[in-house]
Amino acid sequence: MDRGKISKWLKYPEKMGHKYSLWAIYFATGCGIMEIPPVLTSRWDAERFGVLPAATPRQANLFLITGYVSVKTLRPIVRTYELMREPKYTVGFGSCPINGGMYWDSYNTIKRVDKYIPIDGWIAGCMPRPESIFIAVTKLWMMIDKGAATGYIRYRENYRYYRENQERILGKLDWPPLYPEKMGEDNG
Amino acid sequence: MKIMDREENLREEILSVFKNTEVSSPKRKRLTVITEKALISEVMKFLKDRGFKQLCAISCIDWIEEKEFELIYHLSSFESGIHAMVKTKIDRENPVMKSMIPVFTNAQTYEREIWEMFGVQFEGNPRLIPLFLDRWRDIPPFRKDFDIREYVKRTFDVIPSLEEKQNG
Repeated sequence: MDRGKISKWLKYPEKMGHKYSLWAIYFATGCGIMEIPPVLTSRWDAERFGVLPAATPRQANLFLITGYVSVKTLRPIVRTYELMREPKYTVGFGSCPINGGMYWDSYNTIKRVDKYIPIDGWIAGCMPRPESIFIAVTKLWMMIDKGAATGYIRYRENYRYYRENQERILGKLDWPPLYPEKMGEDNG
Repeated sequence: MKIMDREENLREEILSVFKNTEVSSPKRKRLTVITEKALISEVMKFLKDRGFKQLCAISCIDWIEEKEFELIYHLSSFESGIHAMVKTKIDRENPVMKSMIPVFTNAQTYEREIWEMFGVQFEGNPRLIPLFLDRWRDIPPFRKDFDIREYVKRTFDVIPSLEEKQNG
């Protein structure tokens, strides 16, 4: 272990723990998934950065949304995000989750995923290089250090806003609210 | 037999059996059959018996000014290498078509997609349920009178972002 970081480990053990044990779950919505295998395997080796693939959303805390999100895939994305345990971090990958990208006028593609689930960071590009995933990971470390990666808190605080937007697109959702106590009050 | 003769023979054979049918061969290994709605499954059976074993695709064109949908069945033959297109036009106001499943089983998915994207009803297709779209409530999206930009504005763009919502 890096000796210079010992004081940091003693001062903020939970932050350091979150930083260096990012377990990624990636949603293969679109073309971005092609960048994930070389990132995780020997070519770029994400384990150098403490990022490993997780088997289920329950064991993951980093959610990569790789590629465009169609209306049909928004439902499992919301489902997956709600299954993950806190603290959880989301990264939108590629230009399509940011603003629709080349599908900006498509009838079946979600524009701006952050209206439906909170996103901590974006990686721009079509497609982004695998290196940019590591830049995003190091940025995420800085954000966790500063306490700025607060997507999951935002989701809890504004749960009614997010749930209403999800139901506006998907119709009535067939699972109960994650934070039922937030559904009654007006937080807008 | 010379290469061009095969198309010519097939053309004469189809014309001798079916009335009200136009057959042309725009270039080598291509065959276009334009026929009427009622004859289409007989034409398909006829071509299937002559080596056109594969239905590659079914496509649909919305001729909004003529108030017609054009259905195009793409057949291909492994023996002669000819690509045949069987075309027919159906009414746009009440688009009903006989299903092609008895002749080609794989027509099921193609018809399901055309049903979803254009709203053409295929009689005899047992599985006309949504394929790509999730709880679609508007007119079928590939019709020419469907305004995509207006739909996007009405559905996705009106949702405020969190900052807009919090700032009022």
